[in-house]
Amino acid sequence: MSLNFDAFQKANQSGSELDSIRIKNFNIFQKKGFPSKKEENWKYTDLKTILYNNLNKLELPNHENTSQYNSEWLLKNFEHNQIILVNGDFVSSTFSFEAKEKIKIKPLKTVLKDKKDFKKIRDYFTEQQNSLASLNHALVHDGIFLEIEDNYSFKKPLIIYNFFNKSSENKIINNKCFISLGKNSQLSLLEYYKAEDSIKYFNNTIHHYSIQKNSILKKFSIDNNLDNSYNYHLTNVKSYSNSIFENFLFSSGSSFVKNEIHCDLLESFSSCFVNALIFLSKQQHHELKTNINHKHQHCKSSQLVKSILLDKSNGTYQGKIYVDKDAQKTNGYQLSKALILSENSAFNSKPELEIYADDVKCSHGSSTGNIDQNSIFYLMSRGLSKEQANKMLVEGFLNEAIETITEPNIQSLISKLFIDKINKTKFEINEH
Amino acid sequence: MLDIKNLSVSVDGKKILDGFDLKIKSGEVHAIMGPNGSGKSTLANVLTGKNGYEVEGQILYQGKDLLILPIEERAQKGLFMAFQYPLEIAGVNTNNFLKTSLNAIRKGKGLKELDSLDFLKLIKTKVKNLKIDEKILNRQLNVGFSGGEKKKNEILQMTILEPTLAILDETDSGLDIDAIKIVSDGVNSLRSKERSFLIITHYQRLLDYIKPDFVHVLINGKIAKTGCSELALELDKIGYEEIEASA
Repeated sequence: MSLNFDAFQKANQSGSELDSIRIKNFNIFQKKGFPSKKEENWKYTDLKTILYNNLNKLELPNHENTSQYNSEWLLKNFEHNQIILVNGDFVSSTFSFEAKEKIKIKPLKTVLKDKKDFKKIRDYFTEQQNSLASLNHALVHDGIFLEIEDNYSFKKPLIIYNFFNKSSENKIINNKCFISLGKNSQLSLLEYYKAEDSIKYFNNTIHHYSIQKNSILKKFSIDNNLDNSYNYHLTNVKSYSNSIFENFLFSSGSSFVKNEIHCDLLESFSSCFVNALIFLSKQQHHELKTNINHKHQHCKSSQLVKSILLDKSNGTYQGKIYVDKDAQKTNGYQLSKALILSENSAFNSKPELEIYADDVKCSHGSSTGNIDQNSIFYLMSRGLSKEQANKMLVEGFLNEAIETITEPNIQSLISKLFIDKINKTKFEINEH
Repeated sequence: MLDIKNLSVSVDGKKILDGFDLKIKSGEVHAIMGPNGSGKSTLANVLTGKNGYEVEGQILYQGKDLLILPIEERAQKGLFMAFQYPLEIAGVNTNNFLKTSLNAIRKGKGLKELDSLDFLKLIKTKVKNLKIDEKILNRQLNVGFSGGEKKKNEILQMTILEPTLAILDETDSGLDIDAIKIVSDGVNSLRSKERSFLIITHYQRLLDYIKPDFVHVLINGKIAKTGCSELALELDKIGYEEIEASA
């Protein structure tokens, strides 16, 4: 791997504090290297080895052809606002359905260059969650800076298109998105990923969401068009009084994805929902790591993760609920259910509760199993072929996750993608 | 219709059916009664095609070897079993399941598949005829259904799929009188010259409503006695022990 940091540093001089922040963070990364299974949070996902085996010639992007994408990739028959990122760089934004004076949108690149603007996000560059975060602080090139004012509800969802074209082959792409909602505001956000022609790259991205009092952020993410890419998506959320953060993840079809979601419930009556539908096949590797921090009383969190594993795929869910000593009357819930459809696939589940308050309701559950042969017999006795019966059971199993989506348009979009995925999958299931 | 000759069935080396013979002609209703563990449900499972049994002997269905057919082909050729314990299938909508099932069977028979609208018309009539609450159609298949609702759902499936040979495996057990009435109405409405029934039951009660042409007593894996519907009444009085002793 050859990360030419000096050249990057020269090309991206800002003249502000950012320059020294970059150097400091690059040094931290160099000392630590990529995360490996020696670290507790990475024990099921040895990124160092994975990258060494698959992407050992990673280099920094040259930011050429970043405006090139295929317009066929945009979602049709679905009214939405959009931001387009290509290879992590900001290309365009359109808010056709919204009151533009309520929305401040800037490419992150311009924010990084502006001393005054940079101050707003400076503190986020001190968060050292792991070596990838440090690397991101050092090498971030572009991304999104979006502020939504008080008392504004989006009329239509916002889709952030994350496109990757051929120029990203063998590149390591570091970007960040900052999205903040003022008081009494509302936004539905869909992160949509698409990579061109099975190209291989590593995308290291950090999202920061801040949700002020009485606001609602619904965030959905669809990464089923990534094929051969390697992705680390870190999401950090700060939730204030009476706010709602809903996160739904539909993950299927990439060589490697680790989604890490940290949500701080900082003030009372805020809530956080993390639901996921994970559909893995071939040699795909997926990990969802959550960290829900109940820092204040009367907050609620709920997580439902449903996973299907075929072929030689590998899935992990590490879900943590932390309850601070002041967070009385906390309600925390998590459930993971996985169906293993091949003896060569594996699923790891590590639920964690860390509770320092004494008046809380917290629960967790995890089950991993095979498809029920009696159910298959029942369906086949009604004329369904084995393939049809398997599909029906898999669909039924995952439906519970689909039903948690509270945005009807997005629910039907994800539902359609998921049915397509099931119909395209060959269920050669071992009997146990 | 169905001709079972010298059928022996074992599970893990334990013999359950042993030299079992049974002939069912078109249009006939046969009842099989017998004590617990006599092999009644095993017979139903083997006919339907469940895995896990070592089977010897012959079963001819419509003149052809049934045992070589996969489960779904048996269903497509008109064989239906109402399960003793219908499975709960989470996340699967009952209406979708019924439609998929009917269309799989129609496809197997070379008939045109029904579209959603035609299916809806059909299902509404069937549900009404059986006096079943329409709401079950939008619920997950058997999930949270009461025992009675599950059994009624089996009968609903039977009336939609219109099988040639219907096997009812203890459909009456655990049912109240009203539910038994629905089950028997379902069976009676389907009785015809072309259709046969094999009714497996512990009790004579169901046979008050569905009058069988023959009653067989299954003991230790073979038929110990065969008679007309009066045999059921007799059994109700004397129990199985006496027949067991004389068998």
